[in-house]
Amino acid sequence: MPTEFKLPDVGEGVAEGEIVAWLVSEGDTVEEDQPVAEVETDKAVVEVPSPYDGTVKQLHYAEGDVVPVGNVIVTFNVEGEDDLDATPAPDETPAADEDADTETAEAASAASSGSGRTFAPPSVRRLARELDIDLASVSGSGPSGRITEGDVRAAAESGGESEARGEASAPKSAVTKVTDDAESDEPKSAVSKVGASGAAAEPSAAAGREKTLAAPATRRVAEELGVNIDDVPASEEREDGAFVSEAAVREYADAQQAAQAADTAEVRAGDAVSGEREERVPYRGVRRTIGKQMAESKYTAPHVTHHDTAVVDALADVREELKPVAEERGFRLTYMPFIVKAVVAGLKQHPYLNSQLDEENEEIVLKNYYNIGIAVATDAGLMVPVIRDADEKTVPEIAEEMRDLIEKARERSISREEMQGGTFTLTNFGAIGGEYATPIINYPETAILGLGALEERPVAEDGDVVAKETLPLSLSIDHRVIDGAVAAEFANTVQEYLENPSMLLLE
Amino acid sequence: MVVGDVSTGTELAIIGAGPGGYVAAIRAGQLGLDVTLIEKDAWGGTCLNYGCIPSKALITATDVGYEADTAEEMGIHADVKVDVDQMTTWKDGVVDQLTSGVEKLCKANGVNLVEGVAEFESENKLRVAHAGDGQGSETIEFENAIIATGSRPIEVPGFEYDGEHVLSSRDVLDLDRVPESMVVVGGGYIGMELSTVLAKMGCDVTVVEMLDDILAGYEEDVTSVVRQNAQDLGIDFRFGEAASDWEKRDGDIVVTTENEAGEEFRYATEKAFVAVGRQPVLDTLNLDAIGLEPNEDGHLETDNQAETDVEGVYAIGDVATGPMLAHKASKEGQVAAEAIAGEPAALDYQAVPAAVFTDPEIGTVGMTEQEAEDAGFSPAVGNFPMRASGRSLTTGNDDGFVRIVADEESGFILGAQIVGPEASELVAELGLAIEMGATLEDVAATIHTHPTLSEGVMEAAEHALGHAIHTLNR
Repeated sequence: MPTEFKLPDVGEGVAEGEIVAWLVSEGDTVEEDQPVAEVETDKAVVEVPSPYDGTVKQLHYAEGDVVPVGNVIVTFNVEGEDDLDATPAPDETPAADEDADTETAEAASAASSGSGRTFAPPSVRRLARELDIDLASVSGSGPSGRITEGDVRAAAESGGESEARGEASAPKSAVTKVTDDAESDEPKSAVSKVGASGAAAEPSAAAGREKTLAAPATRRVAEELGVNIDDVPASEEREDGAFVSEAAVREYADAQQAAQAADTAEVRAGDAVSGEREERVPYRGVRRTIGKQMAESKYTAPHVTHHDTAVVDALADVREELKPVAEERGFRLTYMPFIVKAVVAGLKQHPYLNSQLDEENEEIVLKNYYNIGIAVATDAGLMVPVIRDADEKTVPEIAEEMRDLIEKARERSISREEMQGGTFTLTNFGAIGGEYATPIINYPETAILGLGALEERPVAEDGDVVAKETLPLSLSIDHRVIDGAVAAEFANTVQEYLENPSMLLLE
Repeated sequence: MVVGDVSTGTELAIIGAGPGGYVAAIRAGQLGLDVTLIEKDAWGGTCLNYGCIPSKALITATDVGYEADTAEEMGIHADVKVDVDQMTTWKDGVVDQLTSGVEKLCKANGVNLVEGVAEFESENKLRVAHAGDGQGSETIEFENAIIATGSRPIEVPGFEYDGEHVLSSRDVLDLDRVPESMVVVGGGYIGMELSTVLAKMGCDVTVVEMLDDILAGYEEDVTSVVRQNAQDLGIDFRFGEAASDWEKRDGDIVVTTENEAGEEFRYATEKAFVAVGRQPVLDTLNLDAIGLEPNEDGHLETDNQAETDVEGVYAIGDVATGPMLAHKASKEGQVAAEAIAGEPAALDYQAVPAAVFTDPEIGTVGMTEQEAEDAGFSPAVGNFPMRASGRSLTTGNDDGFVRIVADEESGFILGAQIVGPEASELVAELGLAIEMGATLEDVAATIHTHPTLSEGVMEAAEHALGHAIHTLNR
């Protein structure tokens, strides 16, 4: 019996994952708990195990596809029978164009989410029966992926093959048509040709109407797609005026996009003659996750950055002194564990820096535990492993834990749990160079401390300029929760500890 | 063939002329089939004669009286007198008009009407015994048959219906006067609808229910509104008790009940009304002759065209699996008729609405929040309390609510539960929404007439979207 396996929730709050690699092929026999795919989510690559003993009947996505959690990724034959050819899978999505695939798959899943329910009006259901089309395999172009009469007719015309279904709104077909008609200099005529539903009215009569009849949801879609509904070719003429369906709006929007894409293609084609001037790198995986989180943080928490410089001669001396001892014990001593301890001491005295804003309940959650995230640059991008309960750990313990976590992050074998639950983050951009920066808060934390390069800089002392080891500090705070004065006080405390490392003995 | 039998042939024989059978007959007639409709009792079946229609007539009549009697707050002071005879005459008139309408419509669509009790003789033959001595029987050879024999009330052992002391719903709908007191056995929808009628007419009603709440299968917040109102009408509830015995005493009767612990309770009452549910009528059909057997629940299994395991034999309505509802029977009848006529009809509706005509009414369709969750959706739920509805307040009835269950991700409406005035009508909009694959936004963005109860539907959709106007959002 074929059983569908949906992409499980691979971590709290994760909405989607990228299929990095398939570990099985169609026809393979798998055992329960055997990994079938590597999925990259929220900075970690996890292996997704099979929940069944059986054979792989179908892989629903290509490597590199981003799949929403809950979408079917594999169909298994659970008895282990190999009946790959027995029944054609209803929604065979793999095809050349990955983007189109993702779109189709998402639409199909929206229209038939939950218990495989398909969302289509009764008249469309009847039409599907008449045309002998399995609705479950049709991708809907209506609101939230609802299947329309046009979708069913398109499916019937395409001989019931799912790749071709929903072509009415597929950008690919639009591109071809528009390019074919590029000479005509009349995009609207191209639009009408794209329509596969046959419902499109005379384009000349449709454009620039003063009044258009449409369902509320259609108007909303038009607004979302940035389309003036009065410009959309009418789906039908009614007594009160031209009526525009949602499918028509989408077609029109797609066609316009296609026209733009054609322009872009032309421009790029022109460039190609004189060599590659641009390269396109997919915005995916860790890069995309980082991007999303940064944007969320920046646009949610009003950032203010406080800059300061600690004079850390004493700390440098202590480290020099302890370095050989550490090496004897088998670990490399960096400044970071001291800074972690100094930060924890600062957080204890200024608890608002170790907090989170619970927007829903309108409460500031002050945390009495100290989980310090350390931002690590890896080949794949920024990752933030967390040192848990840093207040309860000694400098050597922190040093060792950091070494392990950073290694794991660089090898990308770090687990999600090891990157979750942070209460405050440190980012050491100075390791690469530079003095000050504007760190973005690791939201929903409320503060982040950036460290510049620790090096000798001129310091004024009793009227003289002397060379001292200094550490530039850049502290970004969520100004909703923390005021500048509190930030400055915290920075002062951290500085005090860094400048007098013996005080750390009391911590 | 028995001597004296008449033998006829038909393309489609339909057994039972209830809302499933007669609808199938008319549709089949429209599609050009030669149809024979067999009814043993009355055109229109239980629904028209002994169920939906007469009960709704009585519910409306008693509502009119009760509302006039209790409208002092609105400044209406009425001295209501109920003439039960007149009420019965009016009710019977409504029933007659409908049943004769069914008969006329069938004839107009070329349906052959046969009165009698049908049983299968073989896979393509029915024998119909006509009522009355010497009326004989006839054999009908069919190409296709639809079983639409409906259901009958379940009897509780020891409480056989006698029409005098122990009544069925049919007896209650035919009472010629209001009893002083009534013990109603069963708090399902039939028990609750008729308890409400009786209480509004001044009868002292005690409902005995084995379970710990009325209206099994409905959510607690739905039933609690109805239960509270019933209590306000003076209905007593005895939960966790099962009727075990009864005896006559001084012209009245005493009903004995038992709880799980074996404790006995006795209720002196004028009459007892047993409404513990209904069972499909299949035992009169001689199903063995065609090799058909009911499933464990006593129903016939059918495919998505209402066809049974025996080719050419269909089953619709209460005898088929699914809820026992007239509108479900009618839809199945249409599909069966169309399928037999060669059309690509199928039972693919997304939601079967249900209504309970209690005070206030209940109207439900599709999934509850729990069912949506179980089906793998992540449900978004919107609520609108009737007390926030201007129209509801102006009817003097502001109990209840509209609740819409939708899929959070796509906004598709999956179900609705409505309690309140006209809930049975209001639910239709959401049934359509589900069938059409409408989203919360579609319903919320549709302008609803003010001031109407239907605004509550729009508001509930808005609430689910987090921007209700007349209630506080979550």
